[in-house]
Amino acid sequence: MPLHDVGYRAWNSRRCGPSATVWVIAVTGIRLAWESRWLRRLVFFAWSPAFLFAASFFAFEQAVDEGRLTALGEGAQVGRNLDGVGMLGTVLADALGGDPDEVDVESTRRLVWTRLLLAFMRSPQAILLAAVVGLVAPTLISRDLRAKAWLVYFTRPVGRTEYVLGKSVILLLLVLVITMLPAVALWLMGVLVSPSITVALETWDLPVRVIVASLVLAVPTVLLALAYSSLTAETRIASFGWFATWVACWIAHAALTTADVVASARQQQAAATEQAGPRMPAYRRAKDSPDPFQSQFRWLARAAGIDARLDRWAWISPYHALGAVQAAIFGIDRRPAAWLPATATLLLMTFGSLAILAWRVTAPAKA
Amino acid sequence: MLSMTAPADPIPVRLTDVVKRYGRRTVLDGVSLEVTPGITGLVGPNGAGKSTLVRAILGLVRLAGGEARVFGHDPYRHPRRVREAVGVVPEDECSVPGLSGVEMVRYAARLSGLPATEALRRAHEVLDWCDAGQERYRPVETLSVGTRQKVSFAAAIVHDPAMVILDEPTNGLDPIERRAMLGRLTTLARKHGKTIFVSTHVLPDVQAICDRVIVLARGRVRLAGSIAELTRPARPEHHLTGTGPLDRLAAALTSDGLQARVTVNETGPLIELASPRLDQLGAIWSAAQRNGVAIRSFAPASRPLEEVFIETLRQAEQPSAAITSDGLREPAGGVR
Repeated sequence: MPLHDVGYRAWNSRRCGPSATVWVIAVTGIRLAWESRWLRRLVFFAWSPAFLFAASFFAFEQAVDEGRLTALGEGAQVGRNLDGVGMLGTVLADALGGDPDEVDVESTRRLVWTRLLLAFMRSPQAILLAAVVGLVAPTLISRDLRAKAWLVYFTRPVGRTEYVLGKSVILLLLVLVITMLPAVALWLMGVLVSPSITVALETWDLPVRVIVASLVLAVPTVLLALAYSSLTAETRIASFGWFATWVACWIAHAALTTADVVASARQQQAAATEQAGPRMPAYRRAKDSPDPFQSQFRWLARAAGIDARLDRWAWISPYHALGAVQAAIFGIDRRPAAWLPATATLLLMTFGSLAILAWRVTAPAKA
Repeated sequence: MLSMTAPADPIPVRLTDVVKRYGRRTVLDGVSLEVTPGITGLVGPNGAGKSTLVRAILGLVRLAGGEARVFGHDPYRHPRRVREAVGVVPEDECSVPGLSGVEMVRYAARLSGLPATEALRRAHEVLDWCDAGQERYRPVETLSVGTRQKVSFAAAIVHDPAMVILDEPTNGLDPIERRAMLGRLTTLARKHGKTIFVSTHVLPDVQAICDRVIVLARGRVRLAGSIAELTRPARPEHHLTGTGPLDRLAAALTSDGLQARVTVNETGPLIELASPRLDQLGAIWSAAQRNGVAIRSFAPASRPLEEVFIETLRQAEQPSAAITSDGLREPAGGVR
């Protein structure tokens, strides 16, 4: 018998409540997930786009500080690389519109910062989110099913809600670390490099929008990933389901968008031919028709969030639906036709996933 | 912070006409029983419904009929209250991959509501009591079956539950560890007043530590009662063992008016005799001396539990027994 063995002793102190249980599941899950070196690498890598966007914030504020905003606007109009990474030119050209002489710094700053933050959250972070969640989520419930770890939870005072919440918090924290945290850090950096600290008051709503947009990004995706994980004891199958959903929906969206573009181009061409008559020279027909390269790659522009035209197929792909709703949150595109169908998709994803989780999580105990 | 659940009913488990069906298959068919403080064994053949019974007690399954109460609470409606008061050692190996033994027990403690520091202290304390040694620092999936069983047991008792449910607790244990495990269960029940509910196939374990036993077969309670009652022979008998001519002694006792006969069981030859009155004990002693028999033991006879179990199952196989419990042997006072 070990010297320190004091035998069995009673324990009769106060117990923690269900919220502590959620936290315990989350913290233990993060600790176990963090042991994966691939996850560590991916999370660190997920911060790298923030450095590129930080260069854009810095270049913009430097131009404002030095009174070169008009020159910057002119440079943007002719497509010059203004920040070394090419992002600021694209955004600034849109923000300053046609007349760089009538630049209002305050409104331009708001628009540029908003567009930069939306571009940051939409393009690199949403894609990296799919990778991070795809690496962690499939194991969370499926591994519990395979190792019969559900017995560890459901023979203790842990309910289905606490279990799902605990697992969701693992993913939510990871997602927020790669989306919300760097986006808020970008805003903070923007404030710090701006000429006056009052810029923080002028743009106070941006971090709030970032937080809301991050939650909109995180909640449906996290629940969908957990739902896949709960459907099988094989982690590989859950991973496949997750990535297949993103890729297949993206391809479907790209195909439908391209088909739309081709159809509209043919219509325009036919209309132009009808208007000009049969004797219109070939070189004029080519000049008046839309640029085939731009038209066919509109899906890429939409994925990057730099195409302002209405995306009527956004609802079909989680990635594009998330982008459309985020654009509405940032006030960039508030047309109901743009965000309503996308919101419906996200709600369907959320509640469908919750229903699957409610059904599957305690299913082994009932079998 | 929540306070400890105070048992609302002194009877830890009370099941009344419990019915559980999976599709068309009835797994529990009108089960009524009470599990009282002490050690109760649940035995039955494979597929008898033991695991489902345990799940019903934990509120993991919804009952098709009847009523279940654990410390006065409905386990399906108030699972949290029930599971705070109960610790479970499942038959299946279950662990969270990646955690070490001590982390696993600490995690179980945290899930049961213990604060972080207390959870770690209790985890080490119960692992020490379970003699887990330095193995506790290795990942659970790399531990031997026996050590895993200790970790599982430690995880079940780390929050100091009022009742511990164990499914095959001695599976995979060597004889020394098995004895130690049974000793721990006895200590918990006798010294700390815990209710122990053991579901097992190992009948000698049940006979060694249990106060009561419940035999479940085909979803029904076929037999229930204290071990002493159930293993008592149909008529009062004593067994006498000794060295020397037992047949001559048996003949002498019969001629003295005692019903005695020589028989052989697994320990060797012995004399079975109808339980004597006190004034006949001297005559038995004198007869043994006269016939050159050195008495080694003289004790009330008991039937092996295995024999009782097999006989009960044989009765359960009969259609009448499966339909009605009239023909079954139920001691007065139910399972108490």
